[in-house]
Amino acid sequence: MGRIVLKNIRKAFDAVEVIHGVDLEIKEGELVVFVGPSGCGKSTLLRLIAGLDTPTSGSIEIDGRDVTKAGAADRGLAMVFQSYALYPHMTVRQNLSFGLENQRMPKAEIAARVDEAARMLEIDELLGRRPTQLSGGQRQRVAIGRAIVRNPTAFLLDEPLSNLDAELRGTMRAELSALHARLSTTMIYVTHDQVEAMTLADRIVVLRKGVIEQVDTPLNLYNKPQNLFVAGFIGAPNMNFFKVEVKSGKAELPGGAQIAVVHEGPVTLGLRPQHLRLAQPEERAIAAEVFLIESLGAETVLHANVEGAGQIITVLDGQLDIARGAPIRLAFDDANLHAFDAAGQRIG
Amino acid sequence: MNAVRNFVFARRGRAGKWHWTDIVTWIWLIGGTIIMFGPALWLISSSFKGPAQLAEFPPTLLPYVQEVAKVEGYDAPLPLYQVTQEDGSTRVMAEIRRIGTSAQMVDPANPEERVSVRLTDRQPVREVGLAINNYTDPFLAFDFMRYLGNSVFVTVMATLLTLLTNSMAAFALSKYRFKGRDAVMLLIVATLMVPLSVILVPLYSVVSSVGLLNSLWGVILPTIATPTGVFLLRQYMLTIPDELIEAARMDHASEWQIYWRIILPLAAPALAVLAIFSVVWRWNDFLWPLIVLSRRELYTLQIGLNTYAGELNVQWHYILAMTVVTMIPVVLVFIFLQRFITTGIAGAGIK
Repeated sequence: MGRIVLKNIRKAFDAVEVIHGVDLEIKEGELVVFVGPSGCGKSTLLRLIAGLDTPTSGSIEIDGRDVTKAGAADRGLAMVFQSYALYPHMTVRQNLSFGLENQRMPKAEIAARVDEAARMLEIDELLGRRPTQLSGGQRQRVAIGRAIVRNPTAFLLDEPLSNLDAELRGTMRAELSALHARLSTTMIYVTHDQVEAMTLADRIVVLRKGVIEQVDTPLNLYNKPQNLFVAGFIGAPNMNFFKVEVKSGKAELPGGAQIAVVHEGPVTLGLRPQHLRLAQPEERAIAAEVFLIESLGAETVLHANVEGAGQIITVLDGQLDIARGAPIRLAFDDANLHAFDAAGQRIG
Repeated sequence: MNAVRNFVFARRGRAGKWHWTDIVTWIWLIGGTIIMFGPALWLISSSFKGPAQLAEFPPTLLPYVQEVAKVEGYDAPLPLYQVTQEDGSTRVMAEIRRIGTSAQMVDPANPEERVSVRLTDRQPVREVGLAINNYTDPFLAFDFMRYLGNSVFVTVMATLLTLLTNSMAAFALSKYRFKGRDAVMLLIVATLMVPLSVILVPLYSVVSSVGLLNSLWGVILPTIATPTGVFLLRQYMLTIPDELIEAARMDHASEWQIYWRIILPLAAPALAVLAIFSVVWRWNDFLWPLIVLSRRELYTLQIGLNTYAGELNVQWHYILAMTVVTMIPVVLVFIFLQRFITTGIAGAGIK
């Protein structure tokens, strides 16, 4: 249970179309993360799946049933909102049981389900309190608990961790991951934080301006980004790009390094900061001049200027003794090079 | 206690000196208190004065009652006066009856001897006291309890219906998107500009044609839809996050349940404010009940009070006393509901 299929979904608010034809199949039990910059339509897409908005065209199927016209309550989904949206005038127990009461479930079963969810999320102590008396992390748990008691076919989570501090976010991320492993219910998770996306997802859907750019596993996205946008969006710090001209299968990087590219004409080459290293004296390399050094202890981030090709960022292991303004030479392996054509699509 | 005194008597001037702002502050605050409470206190003080004392000029600050004495040979107690005699000495005498510009008086110690005294030569002997019968007489003679019952019925029903209908309208106007929503809102608010006196005649014919004349429902029903209430509640409901409603919708709540179990409890502070307004409005309503109700047993208190003001004779002492009584429920409502005005329970729980 919990297979969700989107077919050519379009959504327009008044005259402005924000989702431009999305096709997506989410498998049963999968944890799919929608990621993208703000305004890319990821929350809108989630609301369409939830039934809080209706698509302008296209269809949504859950477990083979067309639910495009069905109301939010009739889709068997549960949603965790960014603001948690706990009912402030109800206790935690009332918050959890509200949805079940509305389905006219017997009182004993409601109590059993609430207690079970509370135990699972370790909020049994808080059942008598109101949301105002809870900390951010506790509210988050209650919001998840409210989704769990419904026993939904799929969970929809809209940036659930964005209101938490960094430390708590890490803990809750691990808990969500564990929760998904235990419940093995389909989850759709919306975030703009790529660390969350990379760590949680079975598959990541990268969205930009209402269009899916790529759907793949986290590592495939990292290793084989299908286009320039995905290449630049996934991975931190961002990938370094160089615009080069390919002539008879050869391109020249700034600094004179020659590389083979199976393409002709203008090409953008990409290199992740983690895939650059300090070059040996005789090695083929890119020459640059350091202008900013960020020493993080375990690694050092170097920001450098490449003559005639803008900036380059390198992440090097360990602690380095490099002064600002020092010239460096950066080497790389051809296997780590990403090439994109003039339209921004991956070559090879 | 000390902290309170220090706070109240704190001055801006140093070392016990008065800064000019201290003086202005005190004058301003004391003056403000007199302006605010003066009329109410004057009303309460006057309500305990007898009819004769109310007609006096200059008026006295406190209510007085004339002293009386039981004099042998007379059944009723006689009022006492300080009489100035021809030789300049004074003594206390009781009045038997007034004849023209003089009065027949008697010394309580010597009831046999009657003396004629000019009215200008005597002063009533008075002490501070309360004319309680201003309050008790209306309860006995006047149909106070029935009027009170009518007023309570009208106020309670009108307030409940006002809260219900206005909150439903406000819910729709704040949380649903539909064509013409803003136009409807504008129209409702625009009716604020139409005073009752303008629509009095058409309203009367409507109420008359549906047969609600001389019925308390005829007083209640035309008043329940108030633009102020709809506007007040809508503005408040706009601050209730839409996500709560969406969460409820995901939780299988029907639209009615969303209204009843989410919106209404969260709008409680605004509802309390509207309840206070509504109670005050309906309790003090005069013109509309006066028009609809013409049978005495249906009168509300305000209309009932009006019966004391006859064409030739206004019984101010009863009117004042009953005005004080009619103020009590409004003051009580305000005391109990005012905390809702200041505390908001919504908004918390989000973030």
